[in-house]
Amino acid sequence: MTSKTMWLLGRLMHRHRGGLKLSSFVRSASCTAEGAVAPPVDSSVTAEQAVRLWAQHFTLHGISEPLLSSQYIIAHVLGRKTLDGVDRRRLKDPLTDTERVSVWKLCTKRLTSMPVQYVIQEWDFRDLTLKMKPPVFIPRPETEELVGLVLEDLRLIRGESYGTDLRCLEVGCGSGAISLSLLHSIPQLRVLALDQSQAAVCLTRENANRLGLQDKLEVQHLDVMGDALLSKCGPVHFLVSNPPYLLTQEMQSLQTEILRFEDHAALDGGLDGLSVIRSILVLASKLLKERGRVYLEVAPCHPPVIRQMIEETMPGLLYLETRCDLTNRRKKVKQV
Amino acid sequence: MSSLLLRILYGFSPPLHRQLFKWPFVLAAGKKDLIDLPVLNEEDLEEQFVRGSGPGGQATNKTSNCVVLKHTPTGIVVKCHQTRSVTHNRKLARDILREKLEVEYKGEESELLRRQNESIQRKQVKRRKVNENIEKKRRFKETLNAEDFGFKSQEP
Repeated sequence: MTSKTMWLLGRLMHRHRGGLKLSSFVRSASCTAEGAVAPPVDSSVTAEQAVRLWAQHFTLHGISEPLLSSQYIIAHVLGRKTLDGVDRRRLKDPLTDTERVSVWKLCTKRLTSMPVQYVIQEWDFRDLTLKMKPPVFIPRPETEELVGLVLEDLRLIRGESYGTDLRCLEVGCGSGAISLSLLHSIPQLRVLALDQSQAAVCLTRENANRLGLQDKLEVQHLDVMGDALLSKCGPVHFLVSNPPYLLTQEMQSLQTEILRFEDHAALDGGLDGLSVIRSILVLASKLLKERGRVYLEVAPCHPPVIRQMIEETMPGLLYLETRCDLTNRRKKVKQV
Repeated sequence: MSSLLLRILYGFSPPLHRQLFKWPFVLAAGKKDLIDLPVLNEEDLEEQFVRGSGPGGQATNKTSNCVVLKHTPTGIVVKCHQTRSVTHNRKLARDILREKLEVEYKGEESELLRRQNESIQRKQVKRRKVNENIEKKRRFKETLNAEDFGFKSQEP
């Protein structure tokens, strides 16, 4: 930190209600990759003060979502998912020694631009709380909508209780968000989930165990692009995937959080962003039962190209529908 | 019947949305008792999803997932980012909106407002009693101390 930054930090800290006494402090020893150091702290710091202090510190170091990051991390240390969930009076009490050490340790990790989800090692997806672990891809909110769409569609086709005997294949399961979410909502569903990353396979299995869904989910370490899959998967009623769909040229402009910590193979879809999608569709045409469906999350530019690809090269498939997500950017695509 | 009552209360023709009292009201479970909450029509809603800057989807990793819901007929806007799941925030935003519409449509007859006021009044009564007790105890202690002093001063 430059001397100017130190002075500024000193001024900010003096303005705190109750004021932090710089004369007696405990300095956190960890440094970040850029040499950013955690702010000093004394043992009377309250939860509220810590939130403000770290929000300011994140801002100073150009960390994105400074206030939200601080709030989520400190709420987590206090045993809650959000700061709203913490009792008002608790926020004004000094942190215990254990809590303070934990907050400083986790927030220092955030200073390296580590995503909050990896810092606190968990995140929510629809009704579930899942373990998160780098470099396994962190589920995005847009994908919650994909699951909603699948459930809605299945209810339309098979009735309100989804009918009997339902089998699904998920390609690129990551942390298991999609599969586990579907299993949580449809008790009679059985899922085969694949990922080319061993870390993802392990994390999905771990999340399945934590949720008690391990008996309904089989996870295999397979690459849809390379491995011979047909012998390993039986016919399924539907296929679902949030495959890597970014164009290779888009990769370089991604946030530090993503570039530095998430598996690039979970994001990079090749030159046109369609390399994995193409393989999934080929697999689908061989694995889907009669009138089975494929549900995919894709980039905004993809639907017309995919439609054309199917019409021209995949006679067994029929392009059904494109749906926009809430931000009207990403699209969900259905084929049969 | 209700819209007629409103006309008497306000002495003029109520705004259009109050005349839409004919909309179905459903009973919704909430806090042990059932309250009539208006049904929401999705066509009347404009929903926005605040994700911060960035292209979205795989290309973005942000924790903000605030849902902003606008009810076009009344102009009421609700924001919700209470949970870490956007699906839950969307549902909560709708629940909050339904409560706001209940107050908006029913005005002084609002069941929600009535309960809020009752709750506030109950707390005020409770606080007053607690303060009274504290005061009684303080006075009792004072009389005890005064008696002590009185006793000691009588010793030779």
